[in-house]
Amino acid sequence: MPIGPFGIDPGIWAPLRLLLAVALTLFLVLNGALLMIYLERKIQAIIQDRTGPHHVGPFGLLQTFADAIKLLSKEDVRPKATDKAFFLMAPMIVFSPMVASFVVLPFAPDFVGADLNIGLLYLTTLGSMAVLGIVIAGWASNNKYSLIGGLRSAGQLISYEVPQILSLVTVVLVVGSLSMVDITRSQAGPFVNFLVLPFAFVGYFIAALAETNRTPFDLPEAESELVAGYLTEYSGMRWGTFLALTEYGEVTVVCSIMTTLWFGGWQGPGVDALPALGIVWFTLKVYVFVLAFMWVRATLPRMRIDQLMDFCWKVLIPMALVNILATAVLLLAFPGNLWPIAIVNWALVAALVFALPALQRRRLRTFRERARLSAA
Amino acid sequence: MTFDFLEMVLFAILAIAIVGAGAAVVLVGRITSAALFMAFTFLCMAGMFLLLGAETIAAFQVLIYVGAITVLILYGVMFTPQGSRDYGLFFQKQTPWAIVFVAFLAVPVMVFASSFQDGRPLARGGDLVPLATSLFGDFAYPFEVASVLLLAALVGAIVLVKRDDEEIR
Repeated sequence: MPIGPFGIDPGIWAPLRLLLAVALTLFLVLNGALLMIYLERKIQAIIQDRTGPHHVGPFGLLQTFADAIKLLSKEDVRPKATDKAFFLMAPMIVFSPMVASFVVLPFAPDFVGADLNIGLLYLTTLGSMAVLGIVIAGWASNNKYSLIGGLRSAGQLISYEVPQILSLVTVVLVVGSLSMVDITRSQAGPFVNFLVLPFAFVGYFIAALAETNRTPFDLPEAESELVAGYLTEYSGMRWGTFLALTEYGEVTVVCSIMTTLWFGGWQGPGVDALPALGIVWFTLKVYVFVLAFMWVRATLPRMRIDQLMDFCWKVLIPMALVNILATAVLLLAFPGNLWPIAIVNWALVAALVFALPALQRRRLRTFRERARLSAA
Repeated sequence: MTFDFLEMVLFAILAIAIVGAGAAVVLVGRITSAALFMAFTFLCMAGMFLLLGAETIAAFQVLIYVGAITVLILYGVMFTPQGSRDYGLFFQKQTPWAIVFVAFLAVPVMVFASSFQDGRPLARGGDLVPLATSLFGDFAYPFEVASVLLLAALVGAIVLVKRDDEEIR
């Protein structure tokens, strides 16, 4: 009998490994969501000069557990006029691609579900599937707020997918691989991709905020105008799957992509000697971005839908295209030399930082002009 | 204990799902359900590509057909007035003619499909490099022509939706 890993027959090890991986992923997703909701509340509280949850458990740590139990034990409410099959299916369509994304995330050397040679393409593919679930949720709820929320969300996600993928392409051009493990290994030492491709990172960060429906891009669930968008008719654990699990799971996935692509993934001091340390570095880096997401949420107000689309199509996509063109040309012109690419990228970041206030001022000027005209 | 039979089982499941969902696209009454069954067919096709070892094509299949085209179709459905159903009924009542045409088309398709008797294993399609070289090297000219076609369609769409009225923006 052949002996596989841990002295188990390889024929049994293959399905066992699958089960273990799925169990581990679900464990990570569920507990990560609980932890991140707690962090979100606490950090917003700190920024807004409040105490946040503090009654249940030490420092209010068990508050989200209590909330989860409440959600699980709630009555399963389905409004009569909804479309049964689609109403029940929509949270699953949104949830399962997010769980499947965890397959290719490289947590540590040799600690990755599958090192696909198209890992990054696989991640974008799964990211694009969530749109379908959200549109279906909006449609099946048979509620005008849900429908508008779902359609808005589809428009937003499809628009922001473009700069997101364009930003990823620049990294792929420089590294020369779509595999998450190869991309991590290419950034040994302190010179991570962020120093070479900061504009791609900024573009991806903004697009990722929109892709995960978080402030300032949380229009699909804008409670001041749309009640709760496509979530309006959902309650109990179905709502929990939609909002809590999926949103925070997607935040984890996009933060892991940022960590892997621009900040060297698991690489860090002491990883060569002790590979398990990679998990610690990876998690720490991911949570830095998670905290940045929460900081942004507590700081910025929500954008209007036309501003959102304007920014994507008139600022982000043209700049990302220029970035791709410049990166490709410079890679061919100066093979093996990343300095020109870095200079162009930092210049683009500066351009973005200075262009935004200028655009805003021009916008305000046109509004004042229009107001004066209508008053006259 | 081996799992070689799994490939056959998966193929059977996917084949039944593709044919069943494809039939459902045509047969179900509600157009939104039809769009969703189409998305399901696309997903199962991606599964077929995976079984053939073409991960890249499977990924593009899901990215473009499920993530983009189905959503666009759903958009189109939701902006379409659903009141009058005469148009749909006109096509749905032509069952005898449909059977005749399908039978007429099915024979050459079956003959053509059963002519693939080559037993040699195909090159695995998961590798990106041959795909990229054929797309940007051997077939660069048609690729560029297709992109110009898309650009023309894009400009046409912008012209169509452009309003002369300055107030509505």
